[in-house]
Amino acid sequence: MSARRSPLRQLGKGVLVALLLIFTLFPVYWMLNSSLDAQAGHTNSFWPSEPTLEHYVFVLTEGGFGTFLRNSLLVALGTVLVSSALALLASVAVARFRFRMRTQILMMVLIVQMVPLEALVIPLFVQVRDLQLLETLTGLIVVYVALAVPFGIWMLRGFVAAVPVELEEAAYLDGASWGRMFWSVLLPLVAPGLVATSIFGFITAWNEFIFAMTMLGGASENYTVAIGLRSFFGVHSNDWGAIMAASTIITVPVMIFFVLVQRRLASGLTSGAVKE
Amino acid sequence: MTAPAPPTPQAHGSAPEGAGSGAGPVARSVAGGWTGRARAAAVRPWLLLAPALLVLAVLLLWPLVRVFLFSLQDYGLREITTGEPNWIGLGNYAEILATPELWTVVLPNTVGFAVLAVAGTVAFGTAVAVLLASLGPFWRTVTSSAIMAAWAMPAVTGTYVWVWIFDADRGVFNDVLMSLGLLDDPTNWFTNRWTFYAIVLLNVIHHGFPFVAITVLAGLLGVPKEMLEAAEMDGAGSFRRFFSIIVPQLRQVFAVVIILSTIWDFKVFAQVYLMPGGAGSNRSVLNLGVWSYVESFGQNRYGFGSAIAVLLTVLLLVVTAVYVRTVLAEEER
Repeated sequence: MSARRSPLRQLGKGVLVALLLIFTLFPVYWMLNSSLDAQAGHTNSFWPSEPTLEHYVFVLTEGGFGTFLRNSLLVALGTVLVSSALALLASVAVARFRFRMRTQILMMVLIVQMVPLEALVIPLFVQVRDLQLLETLTGLIVVYVALAVPFGIWMLRGFVAAVPVELEEAAYLDGASWGRMFWSVLLPLVAPGLVATSIFGFITAWNEFIFAMTMLGGASENYTVAIGLRSFFGVHSNDWGAIMAASTIITVPVMIFFVLVQRRLASGLTSGAVKE
Repeated sequence: MTAPAPPTPQAHGSAPEGAGSGAGPVARSVAGGWTGRARAAAVRPWLLLAPALLVLAVLLLWPLVRVFLFSLQDYGLREITTGEPNWIGLGNYAEILATPELWTVVLPNTVGFAVLAVAGTVAFGTAVAVLLASLGPFWRTVTSSAIMAAWAMPAVTGTYVWVWIFDADRGVFNDVLMSLGLLDDPTNWFTNRWTFYAIVLLNVIHHGFPFVAITVLAGLLGVPKEMLEAAEMDGAGSFRRFFSIIVPQLRQVFAVVIILSTIWDFKVFAQVYLMPGGAGSNRSVLNLGVWSYVESFGQNRYGFGSAIAVLLTVLLLVVTAVYVRTVLAEEER
């Protein structure tokens, strides 16, 4: 062990960590720096040379970004509510019942996640148009639910399977109905799984770009944050201060959240991969 | 990159996962609870599945069939409004294959980029995981928090930040190079195909390596310490220990991160589309995904765009299938 503690080794490791932190955080820092500098887009400075919140005030008041935020929140919450409910019911079916086609359904759920969005965007555009839901938030929710459900089923299946069947059997023997068992026994126990699924659904809807761009088209009052950002790009010059302020507003909530839940997130994502 | 969506099943606790295995809660529950009354039990799973299956069928499976059907038609503005099909057989595919750009620009951009991006993401992510594993608790927490921040950055905002950093007129990258005397005049890095994709590569690796690092780290921490110590006693250096013990132990983990990175990197869209010239005006930077999109929604050639999309999907499935087979074959050895 002594070789590992040698000063030279420690120094080398310190340099590597420093380089890694710079590479990882520089874009984040640069986004914050530009968003807080009145001179952003004119001269570059490695810290806000003229510190100001004017870019934030601009995007939230005149820039219409408040509306985009509201739209994104509505779409994300709608997606989470519908997709979690559908995924929960389906995951109970695949985790608790044995029936014909069960394996095939699980395989299908896995395979549809590999399909590139570019292949779906053309037919879904036509489909949403036929439903007369183009340029509406509802149309977008419908699409995002479809994207979030397969992952939700995979995720919740493990949580449902981990709930001891004995608890349900006990409730059954006590005369609890099927619905009662669902609400009072299963639901509280899979709540952490529902939270994880909801987070995933929320972030999918919050970040998604290609469908929002295609489906919302010219209806700028219905833009989500991911495409609302583009309104700060000008024909001749871009308002980089505003773009970076809006980017910060979009990014920082997700970022804080990721850092807070990192341990659970990492173990959740990796448990499937690491288990043989 | 879109939100991290690895299809990794969660296996909490010790519940058996095997589909169709006779043991475990699935079978035992027949005695009571869920599957109590035999006749209702046959219908119940389907009732529970129905809403999700309906959504998947209408919004994922039927569109997949449809994109294939569109690809066999001359599907343009007229067809999209009247709804009347105009079948042209394999005409779109013939046209794609006869487009010189496919071979000189689009495929190299798609496949070449994916190879570099997957190799770069996995190699860098693994190196970071090894570094993280060697750190004490404090620095490991600090560094992994920073990594999480890079991961959490949405593809759209992340791309805009890189575009701003490399901006031709006011970007900090040009500023720094000029102040160091490495560059005389501001350079537009987005017009050249190679530098354009170098920026995309930087963006994609920055966004993609955290998943690899965190996943491989979890695997590394699971490698029995005794094995590594025994190898060290036997005089194996750190490289030898890495390639002879850790890599074979983590085969499954590497399989998952390589497959997922491949799937993600073959279809980078926002990272290209949002860069200057990336939305079709600079045809030397087109990849399959963007080409399909701009033909469909820019030129209203939905049939032609669909055929490109089908090609992308098939390519992705073939690559994944070949890879999965290779992994499985190695497992069975």
